[in-house]
Amino acid sequence: MNPHRRGTAVIITAAIASLLLAACGTSTNSSSSSGGGTQTTLKIWDFSAEQVQFHKDIGAQFTKEHPNIKIEWRSITQADYMKTLPLAFQSNQAPDMFYWNATGLSELLDQKWIRPLSPDGTVPADFTKRWPDGSFLDGINMQDGKTYGFPFTENLYWGSGYMFLNKQVFQQAGLDVNNPPKTWTDLKNACAQIKAKTKAECIAAPTKGEDMQRIWYGLVSSVSTSSTDFFDYKTGKFNLTAPGQLKTFAFIQELKKAGYLAPGTNDKNFSRQQFAAGQAGIYFDGTWMLSVWDSQGFSSDNYVVAPRVDPDEGQTGAGGRTYDGNKYWVSSQTKHPDAAWTFIQWMTDPNGYFVQQYYKNAFGTLSYVDNQKMVSHPVLKQIMQIGAKPGYRVQLPEPLLKCPDIAKSKAYVNALTKTPDAEWEAMNEALVSGQPLASVGAAIVKQRQTALEEGLEQEAASGLKVSMDCYTFPEWDSTKDYTSDMYKS
Amino acid sequence: MTTIAPAPGRERVTESDRSPAQRAPERVDHSRERVRGLDRVWLLVFLAPFLLLYLGFTIWPLIATIYYSFFDWSGIGPIENFAGVDNYGSILADPLFWVSVVNTLIFALLTTVIKLPISLVAAILLTRKWLRGKRFFRTVFFAPLIIPVAMAGLIFTYLLNPSNGALNAILRDLGLVDEGFDVFANRWSALLVLVLVSIWQIFGQYMIYWMAALQNVPEELYEAAAIDGASEWKKLTRITLPIIKPVAVIITLLGLVNAMHVFGLVVTLTAGGPGTSTYVVSYFIYQNAFGRVPFDYGYASAAALLFSVIAFVLVSAQGLAVRRAQRLRKEYGV
Repeated sequence: MNPHRRGTAVIITAAIASLLLAACGTSTNSSSSSGGGTQTTLKIWDFSAEQVQFHKDIGAQFTKEHPNIKIEWRSITQADYMKTLPLAFQSNQAPDMFYWNATGLSELLDQKWIRPLSPDGTVPADFTKRWPDGSFLDGINMQDGKTYGFPFTENLYWGSGYMFLNKQVFQQAGLDVNNPPKTWTDLKNACAQIKAKTKAECIAAPTKGEDMQRIWYGLVSSVSTSSTDFFDYKTGKFNLTAPGQLKTFAFIQELKKAGYLAPGTNDKNFSRQQFAAGQAGIYFDGTWMLSVWDSQGFSSDNYVVAPRVDPDEGQTGAGGRTYDGNKYWVSSQTKHPDAAWTFIQWMTDPNGYFVQQYYKNAFGTLSYVDNQKMVSHPVLKQIMQIGAKPGYRVQLPEPLLKCPDIAKSKAYVNALTKTPDAEWEAMNEALVSGQPLASVGAAIVKQRQTALEEGLEQEAASGLKVSMDCYTFPEWDSTKDYTSDMYKS
Repeated sequence: MTTIAPAPGRERVTESDRSPAQRAPERVDHSRERVRGLDRVWLLVFLAPFLLLYLGFTIWPLIATIYYSFFDWSGIGPIENFAGVDNYGSILADPLFWVSVVNTLIFALLTTVIKLPISLVAAILLTRKWLRGKRFFRTVFFAPLIIPVAMAGLIFTYLLNPSNGALNAILRDLGLVDEGFDVFANRWSALLVLVLVSIWQIFGQYMIYWMAALQNVPEELYEAAAIDGASEWKKLTRITLPIIKPVAVIITLLGLVNAMHVFGLVVTLTAGGPGTSTYVVSYFIYQNAFGRVPFDYGYASAAALLFSVIAFVLVSAQGLAVRRAQRLRKEYGV
């Protein structure tokens, strides 16, 4: 071989080998030596983009109090998060703790995503005492004597179904922002006035995909009480095409036809900006909007919050409260269960730094805190007054408490997961085409109901004590709480 | 000087009609020479990176996709639930898959039918000697291609928004419309927007393809035609188009295949809506693979394979035309 060529070949081979070695040598160890001891890095993921600064402060304070643990908190936009987190689990790169509310305990255990909150699986009584009685239930956040989750946000005030009014637009339209529309007719009249006297649109209503839920829950909850899965626990039926839902949707179509919905198939971000920019007078959404707008520089003295509007005949439904308030979980892939448990105890201290800063920033209401005592933000107080009104939100029945074997059942989840956004897509299609929701949604209801009933039958045949009866509560007055004593009867 | 007549039944004189003495000297195909000694090592060294990448990023994913498509698998954990051909059966019965297939084909055909002629016209204009500012126009037409698809989608989402989009504002200011027109509220107008935005973005790339093809047309043919008094139109229809025809077939094939991959614009402009009426196959696969929890890799893999079969049939039909075009290319020397 020519010596010159041989030399070149050796150099190329060495370069390739060094590249391969470098690639193989990448470390994913999240413990590092710092000063005298080893510092553990606890990775936490969520999709609260407006809380990034808060998370930095929290991390810094926690590390100050626990020098051996460093917090690395990452916020991803919600739509991306729902794809990124599962992929992270798939590639064994999941964070140590994560925020997840799309599926419940049994699915997360089934997917092998979670481990108990504490290293040994049990939690001390002084931990559970931070929450109201009945907050820790088998199948919701406990399984086989181990505790896997804890309620984070409370569910009386926290949630969707509030109406936000832009002060500037209302003033220009000659409307009193402190006397908000109370009925559907009031809403139409206010819209007529806004359209006539201002250049603004009346309602900034996102209708792209599942963002349709913003206006939907702002209206339907006064007509019909159902779960966020379009399921009516009173009848045990999926209810997209039930009379209350059809009536509400027909009203939304009427608003659109009259030009009272801002035109366009917009997403929530666009609609929120439209409202904040004074291009729309009304926006329906949830408790979180305070901090979202605050982070965008739109302060709360520019708007007021009001209850959702009722049909002219009066309220016949309510918003739903569920037992499942679990949000943060400990990853099954964590190498630092001790650090995660230390952090969870710290963040759920009702008088601790996390809680104080959370309320200082008006991010919402937590389930382990005395909200009456802690909330100081005037708009959040307004929201609490609205949410506390009898019948504004009611406790939904919990099938798991009627039939404990539901914890092992997959039928309900399977009925939903095949086409998770089908209801919103059907509404979107019906809204732009002007077709009645009944014709567009019938196939979805049939598919879901059949999947649930057949799934439960199969599971019952395999020995589980489950049936449609577990999902049906005919005696329930759906404008009132389904209380724990009702399960006994 | 002797003239050569084409064989009966053929319009054009080919090499076989000439006597061996008149034929052009045969080109030696050096590509088939045996590689020996150290050159063989060098050949492997230079090919290895490509072969490794090809194996890792083309062959392996293809085999994996075929394998996954026979399982009910979420993408996480062991692949245990063998589903046989259930995924294929479900997809064939899924109306949304067929909506996606139809939309993809409509999109591919429309974009190809529109973008190729107009980019050819632009290329012809930009290769005219008399035109000034060619570089400027080339840059202007090519610029949209360097804008990321996601950004292009966002730009047009805002431009076309009926509330405060620039387009509707102009129409309102001109008194042409009273209310903003929501182009995304209807399947056909939404699809048309996807087509037009896609053409706007990719136009420059096809213009460059055509310009490359046009630059291969021998200049002396135009000079001879000019001496014979041929008009510009005659030069175009009798010289330019016939000579670039073989390349045109290949450009058409590229245009169709590229258009079938449409994804980013759908995500940013319509998200498959209104409802599900602008779903395309890539978006359908994406939604099934990542759009819900747990993921449904098996179903998505089966959908990907089924569409690949459909695309393969279409492309194979085109492949015949390409093969003929390649023969013509060699004949024309372009």
